[in-house]
Amino acid sequence: MSTPPIIEVRDLSKRFGSFQAVNKVSFHVERGEIFGYLGANGAGKSTTIRMLTGLLAPSSGSATVAGADIASEPTRVKRAIGYMSQRFSLYLDLSVEENLRFFAGAYGLSGAHRERRVHAALELAGLHDRRRVTTRDLPGGIRQRLALGSALLHEPAIVFLDEPTAGVDPAARRGFWRVIRDLAAQGTTVFVTTHHLDEAEYCARVGLMVDGRLVALDTPQGLKTAHVPGSLYAVESPEGTRAAAALLTDAPGVLAVEPFGQRLHVRVQGSADPLRFQNLLTSRGVLGATFEPVEPTLEDVFLALVGDAGKATP
Amino acid sequence: MKQLKQQLRAMLLRTLAMSYKELMHILRDKQMLGFALVMPVMLILLFGFAVSFDVERVPLVLVDQDHTPASRALADAFTASRTFEVVAQTEQPAEAERMFRSGAAKVALVVPAGFAKASLHDSEAVAQLLVDGADNTTASVALGYANAVALASSQRSFAAAMGRAEPPIDARVRTFFNPGLKSSVFLVPGLMVMVLSMMAVMLTALTVAREYERGSMEQLFATPVGRLEVMLGKLGPYFVIGEVQVLLVLTLGVGIFDVPVQGSVALVFAVSSVFLLAMLMQGMFISVMTRNQMLASQIAAITTFLPSLLLSGFIFPIDSMPPPLRVLASILPPRYLVHGLRAVLLRGVGFADVVRDMAPMLAFFLVLLALAARKFRREVA
Repeated sequence: MSTPPIIEVRDLSKRFGSFQAVNKVSFHVERGEIFGYLGANGAGKSTTIRMLTGLLAPSSGSATVAGADIASEPTRVKRAIGYMSQRFSLYLDLSVEENLRFFAGAYGLSGAHRERRVHAALELAGLHDRRRVTTRDLPGGIRQRLALGSALLHEPAIVFLDEPTAGVDPAARRGFWRVIRDLAAQGTTVFVTTHHLDEAEYCARVGLMVDGRLVALDTPQGLKTAHVPGSLYAVESPEGTRAAAALLTDAPGVLAVEPFGQRLHVRVQGSADPLRFQNLLTSRGVLGATFEPVEPTLEDVFLALVGDAGKATP
Repeated sequence: MKQLKQQLRAMLLRTLAMSYKELMHILRDKQMLGFALVMPVMLILLFGFAVSFDVERVPLVLVDQDHTPASRALADAFTASRTFEVVAQTEQPAEAERMFRSGAAKVALVVPAGFAKASLHDSEAVAQLLVDGADNTTASVALGYANAVALASSQRSFAAAMGRAEPPIDARVRTFFNPGLKSSVFLVPGLMVMVLSMMAVMLTALTVAREYERGSMEQLFATPVGRLEVMLGKLGPYFVIGEVQVLLVLTLGVGIFDVPVQGSVALVFAVSSVFLLAMLMQGMFISVMTRNQMLASQIAAITTFLPSLLLSGFIFPIDSMPPPLRVLASILPPRYLVHGLRAVLLRGVGFADVVRDMAPMLAFFLVLLALAARKFRREVA
């Protein structure tokens, strides 16, 4: 039947002085799953990762990672995981090969086994013929792939990636995610934080952090149907969207109005006819506004949830 | 048993990985490497030639108002050795004072008119030696020398008066182990302390702080590498650099300053190595405590320069220090290295005699290692 979850988190909390960075978070991650952890900066994503990787002792609550308790057996946790931190992952003054050799040694690999794993990492980063290049001279996207390769040297059951694609161009990001999906397909569990909401669509399940609390956790589709009910329209107006936004916010049948780039995302009750709102705008002098049905994205989910959380905590 | 062996092997692998990484950092940083190898040479040359307690060629102005063979004999007695050098001759004591002020002379020998006559008749013959007390080392050496000369020449004239060729008692002082009392011989062990402590502490003080500053400490702690493995692994390459420095200082000391190596060279390295470990650990400790390169380097400079200069017995004898400083000096490693090196280099003692110097340095290393490991938490936030 089903194997026990590879990560189990119960009421995990971390307090720094009077600041509650992580507040009673509970969830579990299945083996081989890509688990997305979303939230704004300072929402508690990195703090959660640091606790799960044994870098930070929790203030309360507990968690097991690959069967090891994070508070009492951090060393066992560290042997089972790979970790790519947000700020640093490689020594920029060392060459590609030196970085890999070092991290392989740090994970206790030696001899032929080490050489094999270093080769695999070079392969993954596509750096076979650039192994002697100083890491600083590599473009950001390649560097991130190398960092991922180095986090996978010891073939961990789980890999934690903290904002792996921050500052990486879109093409390289896509390539990076292809690697992540391949990994998961081979059975490695991937725990990834991001603030690129489009990336979260690649995840099997997504948890959403707001102010230290896990406010939602589901598949991307599940999140959308649960948190973005009704129909969503992208509204565009030649005269700008400000007046339209003001009018629509107060109109009956409108659930939410959120600015979305140059346009508005207007969510209305399922049965409402967009023509009605168009007429309303026209009658109030906002002419030429167009209503176009759109599929909700995770960004809509995020906006809906952050809005709710904002209301809940004055 | 097998599991323990496997664990030890893994520890060794991780420690070696740390050493390898640190070595690569050092090799990349040519400036630092150059600094580590050129500085000892510069320091030893600078200190070796400049810091000297051998007083030679002290400028002397001779004020001879007597102009007799006796007055000339007295002047010759002063100028016979290399200690004094006559820079001017005059009959006016006021001229001598002017030369003192301008710094042209540091000592004046004034032989008043009637000196010879007084020494022939039983009355006291008085000659005057004026010494510029502003330079206290020169002054005390000049005074000591003057006393010796005065004693010798009065003995001679006494013997001549008694009709004997030799004075009745010939007292001689014989100095063991450094017969010339040459200060460079004395100084090289002291310089070894300064060079090793300043370089070793400075280099390791930066290394852990650097990892904290660039955020790599977090990545390190996410691997199974432990605290001790980080510290000991990092010490490795710096220890090798330190040994090269020992070799440099020793070679220069023997080659240029004629420092004798009475004991075994291996023992010189053994004593220096223990000191080196203690100093590397001191830097590591500072680095772990501060987590900041700027602060660490300042603390490193303060905590090495003064103790190695003042509390090592390098220049000032520890026995004549006030009790609190004596206690501090006996906790810190520098005095033990100076003592141990002097014992091996100049007196040629064996291992059994320097164990007493090595043990406190080893203890210093172990205590700091334990303290640093306690402070070196796995938490990084």
